[in-house]
Amino acid sequence: MTHSSCFNRRRFLQSSVASAAALGIGAAIPDCFVAAAESNGKDDERILIVVQLSGGNDGLNTVVPYSDDAYHAARPKLAIPTSDVIKCNDELGFHPSLGGMNDLLHAGMLTIVNGVGYEHPNRSHFESMDIWHTCRRKDEPRPDGWLGRFLDQQHSAQQNSTSGGDVPALHLGHEQQPFAIASNHVRVPTVKELSQFQLQGSDSQSLRSLLSEHQVTKASGNELLSFLQSSTASALAASERVTKAAKQYLSDVTYPDTALAQKLRVVAQLIDAGLTTRVYYVQHDGFDTHAQQAASHAVLLREWSDAVSVLVRDLAAHGHDDRVCVMTFSEFGRRVAENASEGTDHGAAGPMFLCGGRAVAGFVGRQPSLTQLQDGDLKHESDFRQVYASVLQSWLGTESDAILGGRYETLKLFNT
Amino acid sequence: MNAMIIDLDWAWQPFESTADRPWNHALAAHLFRRAGFGADNEQLDAATKRSVTDVVGDLVTANIQETNFRQVADTLAATILAGGDPQQLSAAWVYRMMLTPTQLLEKMTLFWHGHFATGAEKVKDAHMMWQQNQFLREHALGEFRELVQAIAQDPAMLIYLDSAINRKAHPNENFARELMELFCLGEGNYSEQDVQELARCFTGWEVKNKKFRKNRYQHDDGTKSILGQSGNYDGEDGVRIVVEQPQLEMFLARKWYRFFLSDEPQPTNELLQPLADTFRKHNLQVAPALKMLLSSNLFFSEHAVGRKIKSPVDSVIGTLRCLQATTNTEMVASGLLQLGQGLFYPPNVKGWDGGRAWIDSSTLLGRSNLFGKILEHKSTRFDGLSLVDYLGSRDVRNLDDAIEYFELHLLAVPLSESTRTQLQETVASHVKEPERQFRALLHAMTSLPQFQLG
Repeated sequence: MTHSSCFNRRRFLQSSVASAAALGIGAAIPDCFVAAAESNGKDDERILIVVQLSGGNDGLNTVVPYSDDAYHAARPKLAIPTSDVIKCNDELGFHPSLGGMNDLLHAGMLTIVNGVGYEHPNRSHFESMDIWHTCRRKDEPRPDGWLGRFLDQQHSAQQNSTSGGDVPALHLGHEQQPFAIASNHVRVPTVKELSQFQLQGSDSQSLRSLLSEHQVTKASGNELLSFLQSSTASALAASERVTKAAKQYLSDVTYPDTALAQKLRVVAQLIDAGLTTRVYYVQHDGFDTHAQQAASHAVLLREWSDAVSVLVRDLAAHGHDDRVCVMTFSEFGRRVAENASEGTDHGAAGPMFLCGGRAVAGFVGRQPSLTQLQDGDLKHESDFRQVYASVLQSWLGTESDAILGGRYETLKLFNT
Repeated sequence: MNAMIIDLDWAWQPFESTADRPWNHALAAHLFRRAGFGADNEQLDAATKRSVTDVVGDLVTANIQETNFRQVADTLAATILAGGDPQQLSAAWVYRMMLTPTQLLEKMTLFWHGHFATGAEKVKDAHMMWQQNQFLREHALGEFRELVQAIAQDPAMLIYLDSAINRKAHPNENFARELMELFCLGEGNYSEQDVQELARCFTGWEVKNKKFRKNRYQHDDGTKSILGQSGNYDGEDGVRIVVEQPQLEMFLARKWYRFFLSDEPQPTNELLQPLADTFRKHNLQVAPALKMLLSSNLFFSEHAVGRKIKSPVDSVIGTLRCLQATTNTEMVASGLLQLGQGLFYPPNVKGWDGGRAWIDSSTLLGRSNLFGKILEHKSTRFDGLSLVDYLGSRDVRNLDDAIEYFELHLLAVPLSESTRTQLQETVASHVKEPERQFRALLHAMTSLPQFQLG
C-alpha cells in the first residue's frame, strides 16, 4: 500500500532547500582531494544508517491502531486519543510527536514495516538485542554481528587494498559499541566527535605539511612502510575532506539540540565529505517505559522523529538522499495492555522504519491483531531478518543468506 | 622478501654479531621493542656491553614480578577495584606496562590477553577481569598446559564464552570450539563432532558467587569421543586431550612468530618447525621457545627488524618507556581504547588481529593526536624532568642531536636526509622556546609513517 497525498517529493524538497542548495561542498573541494577521495573507492555507494531505539519502544503508541476498539480497551490511560493521532489511513496513525515522520511519509520517503519480530520472542533487553544484532539465539555461537559479517564480506573482496582507507563503518556515541557491528576482521571505531578525524593541537598545520610532503618519498622495499605511507596520505585526504566539510558545511535545516540530532548531523557531514564509510550506527536510549510512560515517550519519539526527518531533508538538500537509507528498530515492542503504573512492560513485535529517497512510501506488512495475542503480546507478521535480507540484497547489494544464517523472503522496501 | 629464501639452518641459530649486523644500540632497541615495550639509553648501554644470549636469558627468566613493584602496582589496582569500573582497570594496567622492570613478562601477559581474549563489556565485572589478568601474568612465561587448564576454570572466561550456561541437557559449544580453534589447534584440526563431544566434558562448569565450581547435577557423565579417544571424560580430560595434539606447537609457534618477529609474509611450516619442536620438547614450557625465538639470527635479521606495525600499546607505551616518561595513565588507557587496543576490551574472542588491521584513516591521525595530548599534558615528565633537561643530561642539546636520539630509540628504520631536513623545518618556528620545540619535534617524529614500524 502506497500512500498518496497532496504533497509530493519535489515540493518537499523545495520547501526544505534554500536557493543556495548546491552548497554541497563538492564544488569547493580542490581537485587533488577529489582525486584522493576517488582513489579510496566510489563515493556513490549506498549507505545504511542504523538508528537503534534502546529499551524497547512502544510500537503501539508510535504507529497507533486508532480505529481498533481493542487498542483503547487495553490502554485506558495510555491510549493516544483519536483526536490527537496524526492519521495516515483509516486504521493507523502517528503519535502526535511524529510530525516529522508524517512529513517524510507524505514526501514519499518513509516505509513503515508493521509487526516486525521473531519466533519465540525473548523479553530480556540484552538477549533480545543480541538476537537482533547477531541473528543468532543464545545457544548458538555468536562471535559477530550481522553488520559485522557484512563488513567482513566487503573486506575480503578488498583484501589487496594498498592503503588503510576510510573506516568501513562507524559507531557514533558514548555507549558501548553495538554487537551488530562486531566483526572478525574489520575494526569499527566508536567516534564521539568529528575532531577524531582531524589532526588536532597547535602544531596541526605544520604536522600536516610535514606529512603531506613526506608521502612523496620513494618506496623502500618494505611493503609495510609503503602501506603506512599511502595510508597516511589517504588519512590526510580524508581529514582534509572532513575538515572542509565541517567548516563549509552549510545547511538550510537546523538540527535540534539533542544528542541524537547532533550525532546525525555529524553523519550528514561525513557523508557529504565523501567518506567511503558504508554503515553508520547511532543509538537513542530511554525507551524502557515501565512507569509514567506518556510524557517521556512523547519526548523520546519527538527527538527521534525530528532528528531523523531533519537528517533526511538535509541529505536531500545535498543530493545524497538517493544513496542513504536510515533504518530504525528497537529490541522489542511492549505489552498490549498497559500496567498499573501507567507504563508498559516488555513485549514482542513492533514497527520498523526505513527513510530515504528510495524508500517505498507507506506501510508494508499487516498490522498484528490486537485480539489474537501470544502471551499477551503481538504476534509478529514479518521476521526482522526479512527486513535485513531486503536491506542487504536490495540496498547494500550483497547476498544475505550467509550473513543471516538462512534464507529469508525479502520485502519490497526500495524503489530501484 | 619471501620466507622461502630464508636459510633454515641459519634462521634459528643463536644470533652472531657480524660486521654487517653488529650487536649495537639499534639492535638492542629492536630487541626491547619486541620483547617488551622499549628501552631507555641506560638499558641500551648496559645491554650492548653483554651478549645477546645473556640479555635474552635475563628477559625470559624474569618470570615473576619484582616484589616492590608488584606491591605498588597491586595497591593501585586494589584502589581502582573498589570503584568496580573495568575501564579504570585499564589505567592500572597501563601503569604496570609503563614501569614494570620485567618487560617480557608484561608483554606476554598482553599476548595471552589477546590469545585468551576476554572482554569486560560482556563480563562486566572488574574484579573477575583483574583476577584473570593476575593469573595470566603469573603463568605468562610458565607452562602452557597449566595455563589452559586454569583458563578453562577462570570465571571471567566462563562468562565470556558462555560456559557458565553449559548444561547437561543443553551443551553450549562456545568454549569447546574456541579451545580448539583459537586457543590450541587452529581451524581445520578438529571436526564439528569433536566440538559437540568436547562441550559435553565441560557441562556443569559454572560460576557461583563469582567463583568457579563444578555442578555435578549439570555434568554429563556419559562417554565422550574426542579427537580419536573415548572415555567418561570431564573438563580436565578434555583440555588434556586437546593439548596433547601435535598441531598445538605449530599453532603457537605461528602466533609467536607474528607477535614477536614479523607481520608478513606468513612463514612456512617448514620454517616454524624447529621453534614448534622446541616448545614440545620442553614439555610446552613457554620460556625456552621464546628464548630460541628472541635470540635467533632470524629475529635480528632484515626479515624481522622494521617488519611489524606497532600496536597502539607498542607505539605509546614504547615511546614513554624509551624516554623514561610518565604521564596520566587514564588518558593513555582511554587513548588506547580509541585506537583499537582497549586493555580488557579486545574486539572479539579472536583478540587483536594486529598488522595492517591497526591502521585506518581515524587511527593514524588518532595516534598522532594522542601523542599531541600526552606531550601537552602538564603531568608528562621525563624521568621527572622537562624534555630539555632530560635530553640535556644525555648531552642532547640541539635539534640535530635530538633527531638522532629519537631516531635511535624510537624508530626501526632509518630516516632519509630529506626527512631530517623537513623535521627541522617543521619545528623551526619554536626556536625561542626550547621545551616546546623538542616536544613538537617528538610529536612530529611520532607522527611519521616510519615511526609506526616496530
